[in-house]
Amino acid sequence: MIRFERHTLENGLRVIAHRDEGTPMVTANMLYDVGARDEDPESTGLAHLFEHLMFEGTREVPMFDMPVMMAGGENNAFTNNDFTNYYITLPVNNLETALWLEADRMTGLDLSEERITTQKSVVIEEFRQRYLNQPYGDLLLLLRPLAYRVHPYRWPAIGMDISHIEKADTISARKFYRKFYTPSNAVLSVAGNVTPGEVFRLAEKWFGDKPKAPRRRRRLPAEPVQNERREITVRRRVPSAQLIMAWHTDGRNSRDFIVLDMLTDILAGCESARFPALLVREREIFTEADIYLSGEIDPGLVLFSGKLRNGTDIRKAEKAVEQELRRLSAYPVTDAELDKARNRYESLRLISHLSASNKAFNLALHELLGDAEGINREKERYLSVTASEMAETAARTFLPGNCSVIHYIPEAQ
Amino acid sequence: MKETITGRPPKINIPSAGDTSFPPCIRLSNGLPVYLIGNGPEGLLRIEFVFNAGQRMEKIHLASAATNAMLTEGTELHDAASINNLIDATGALFSHTADKDSAGLVTVTLTRKLDEVISLAEEVLFHPSFPEREFRMMKEKRMQAFLTGRQRTAVRAREEFYRALCGDTNPYGRVTCAEDYDSLTTSHLRDFHAALYIPGNMYITVAGRNPEQALPLLENRFAGEGKSQWSKPVISPMEFATASPGLIFCEVKDSVQSTVRMGWKGITRDHPDYLGLQVATMLLGGYFGSRLMRKIREEKGYTYGIHAVAGAFHGIGYIVIMTDVATGWREETLGEIRKEIARLQEEDVSNDELLVVRNHTMGEIARMFDGPFSVAEAIKGIVDYDAGHDYYEKFVETVNNITPGKIKELFNTYFRSDQAYEIIAGIT
Repeated sequence: MIRFERHTLENGLRVIAHRDEGTPMVTANMLYDVGARDEDPESTGLAHLFEHLMFEGTREVPMFDMPVMMAGGENNAFTNNDFTNYYITLPVNNLETALWLEADRMTGLDLSEERITTQKSVVIEEFRQRYLNQPYGDLLLLLRPLAYRVHPYRWPAIGMDISHIEKADTISARKFYRKFYTPSNAVLSVAGNVTPGEVFRLAEKWFGDKPKAPRRRRRLPAEPVQNERREITVRRRVPSAQLIMAWHTDGRNSRDFIVLDMLTDILAGCESARFPALLVREREIFTEADIYLSGEIDPGLVLFSGKLRNGTDIRKAEKAVEQELRRLSAYPVTDAELDKARNRYESLRLISHLSASNKAFNLALHELLGDAEGINREKERYLSVTASEMAETAARTFLPGNCSVIHYIPEAQ
Repeated sequence: MKETITGRPPKINIPSAGDTSFPPCIRLSNGLPVYLIGNGPEGLLRIEFVFNAGQRMEKIHLASAATNAMLTEGTELHDAASINNLIDATGALFSHTADKDSAGLVTVTLTRKLDEVISLAEEVLFHPSFPEREFRMMKEKRMQAFLTGRQRTAVRAREEFYRALCGDTNPYGRVTCAEDYDSLTTSHLRDFHAALYIPGNMYITVAGRNPEQALPLLENRFAGEGKSQWSKPVISPMEFATASPGLIFCEVKDSVQSTVRMGWKGITRDHPDYLGLQVATMLLGGYFGSRLMRKIREEKGYTYGIHAVAGAFHGIGYIVIMTDVATGWREETLGEIRKEIARLQEEDVSNDELLVVRNHTMGEIARMFDGPFSVAEAIKGIVDYDAGHDYYEKFVETVNNITPGKIKELFNTYFRSDQAYEIIAGIT
C-alpha cells in the first residue's frame, strides 16, 4: 500500500505527495500529458525533440543542469508515444530548487534558433545511435507502420524519419510549447521524506501563479480492427534471423491488458516459462523467445520476438509460435504456472516500490491513467486473473487476421 | 549562479554524502564473510554470492562467463528444466554476474521464500552438472550474441582499448574470436568451477529488512559439513603487454556512426592520486554539465552523449573517454577532446565549476548509499578490490579538499597527448 495525498491547484496542476521516510533524497517527477501520439503526421518526433529543448535553459536559468548539480541532484527525462516524463532526484532539503526549476521551464523556455539547431543535430545522432547503428535496431521502426494504419502509434517517439527532425523549427516548437506545456496538462508527483502539506505549499508557491489553460481533450483516430494478416520480409547484415509477430489488443486501463500481462509472463517471463522451456530448450527452434505487451495507454500490441536458431525455417518457427498460443485452450494455464506468476508479480512489485523515484513516477502515471489510487488496486487486479480468463482472452487476441509479422533475415540467406 | 530580479532562486543547501559507513561483517564458522545491510521495506531480501572467479582467473578464454552461465543449467540433483522450475516457483529473481574480477549470483526473493532460495542457490553454485546438450545450446546463443557484437562499433572500440592496454594474451585484454567458442568444452568449465566456486573463495551480502535472519540458513548451507575453510583470496600479479600509444583504427562495415574512444593507462586504487583522478574525470566527462558534454554535445551537436571514466582492475588502471558520432565528425571530435584536455592542462578550473562538481559528487555518493540494495552494490567494488572500509570517507575528503592546482597537475600527469590511445571503430 502506497499512501499519498492529492491536491489540484486552481490552474489545474495535479499534485501528488507520497511520504517515504526511508530515504535522504526526494524525487520531483513532472509528467506532461503529451507524447508522439499528439504530433502532426507530417512533423513527427517533435515531442521528443521538445524534451531535449526543456534542458536548454530559460532567461532565469541559462543552464538547467547547473542548479541541479549544485543541489546534489540528478535529473533526466524520457518521451514515449503517450507522454513526456521529467524527474529530478536530490537531497530532501533542496526540494524547493527542483520545484523552482520545473516551474521556471514550464513557461520560461528560451526557444532560440541556435539551441534548436544544435538539439536537432543531437537527436539525429540519437536516432542513428539507437536505431540505425545497432544490429536489429530498426525492427520497431518497421513494425509500427505495419501494425498501425491510422492511429498515431504508427510512428515511433523518435520520429518517423530523420527528415522530420531536420525540418522542425522555432515556430513549430513555440506552438507545441504553448499548446502542451500548461499546468492542466501536467501531473507533479513528489516522493521522499517530506509531508504532503509541505509539498502542496511549495507547489502553490512555485506553480500557483501560472495561468490557467483549458484542459485539452484528445481526439485521436481509432485504429480499425485488423482482419488480414500482414507480413514483410527484410534482409539486413545480421548474423541470425529474428521473427516478430504483433497482435492488436486493448489499452492500458482494460481488463485484457492485465490478463495478457499475466499470460505473457506465464509464456515467457522466466526460464521455465512455456516459450523458453518448449520453443528454446525442448524443440530448439529459437535461441531466445519472448512475448510481452507494448504497454501503451491507447490500444496497443502484444509482441512476440524470437531469435532463430541457425538453420531453422522462419515459417516453421512462426507456426510453432501459433501452435503454442492455440494450445492455451486445450492445455490451459495450470495452478502451478499461475502460482509462479503470482509470486513473481509480488517480487517485482516490491522491487518497483524500493525507490522513491520509481514510486513518484508510478503515482504520476496512474494519475494520468485516471486515478493515482490505481497503484494500490493493481495488485488485486493482477492476482485475480484466472486460467479460463487467460484462455478466453488469448483466443480472442491471437487470431491470424489480427497479426503483423516481420521476417528479419540475414542478407546471405 | 545567476542572480535574478525577483529574488529567486531558492537557497541551495550544500549537499552532504550522508552515511557512508561500511556494513557489519559476520563470519560463518568456516570464516566466510557475510555483510549484513539492514533496513528497507518489509518482505524482500537481496542476497548476493560473489566468487573470486572473474575473467582474470581464466586459463581458457570464456571459461569464467560460460561457467557462470551454466550454473542454472542442471545440477547433480535436478536437470535444467527441473532446477529452473524450482527457482521460478519461488518467484525469486536469479541473475548471473560475470565480470573481469568477480563472478557469482544475485538473488532477490520474497522473505517468506528465503529458506528455499538459499538452498537452491547452494545447489546451483556448488553442484552444477554441466550437461552437454545445455552447454551446446548456451554456446550457440552466445555465439549469436558475439557475432552481433562484431557489428557494433561501441563493442569493437572497447575491445581494442583493453587489448592495447593489457595485451593480447592477458585475460583482461584478450579479444574473443569464433574459434574460442568451438574449442571450449565442459571439462574446461568443470575445472574452472572445481577450483574457484568453493566457500573458501567467496563472500556474501544480504540486504533488506532484518538481514540477520539469513545467517542460520547460510551457516547451514555454506559452512556446514564438507564446506571448505575461507581464506583471503590471493591476487597474484599478472603480466601486461601494454601497447605503444597512438591511433588504432578498427573497421566495422556499413556502420552509420563511428565510436571514438580516447584512453590512457591509469592507476590502481592504492595509488594516492586515485581519488583525485575520479574528481578530474568527473569534471571532464562524468556528468551532464561536464566539459565534454557541453562542448561535444551541447555546443557542437556531434553526439547524443560523451562520457569519461577512470577505473581500475587488479594491477592496472585505465582512463577512457567514449562517444558515438557521425562518421564525418570523428576527426573533429578527437580534435575537440584534445583541445578540452589541453585547456585543463593549462588553465585552473574556476572555484565555481569545482563547487558544482563537488556538490554533484556528494549527491552521487548519497544516492549510492540510498537504500540497502544500493549499498550492497556500492560495497561490492570495495570488497572486490580490497579498497578499504573507509574508501568513501576518503573520497568525500578528497572531493572537499582538492584544489584547482591539483586538478591541473592530474591532467598534466595522466592525460598526456603523447600517451593516449585514440581508437576509432567505423567505416573506412
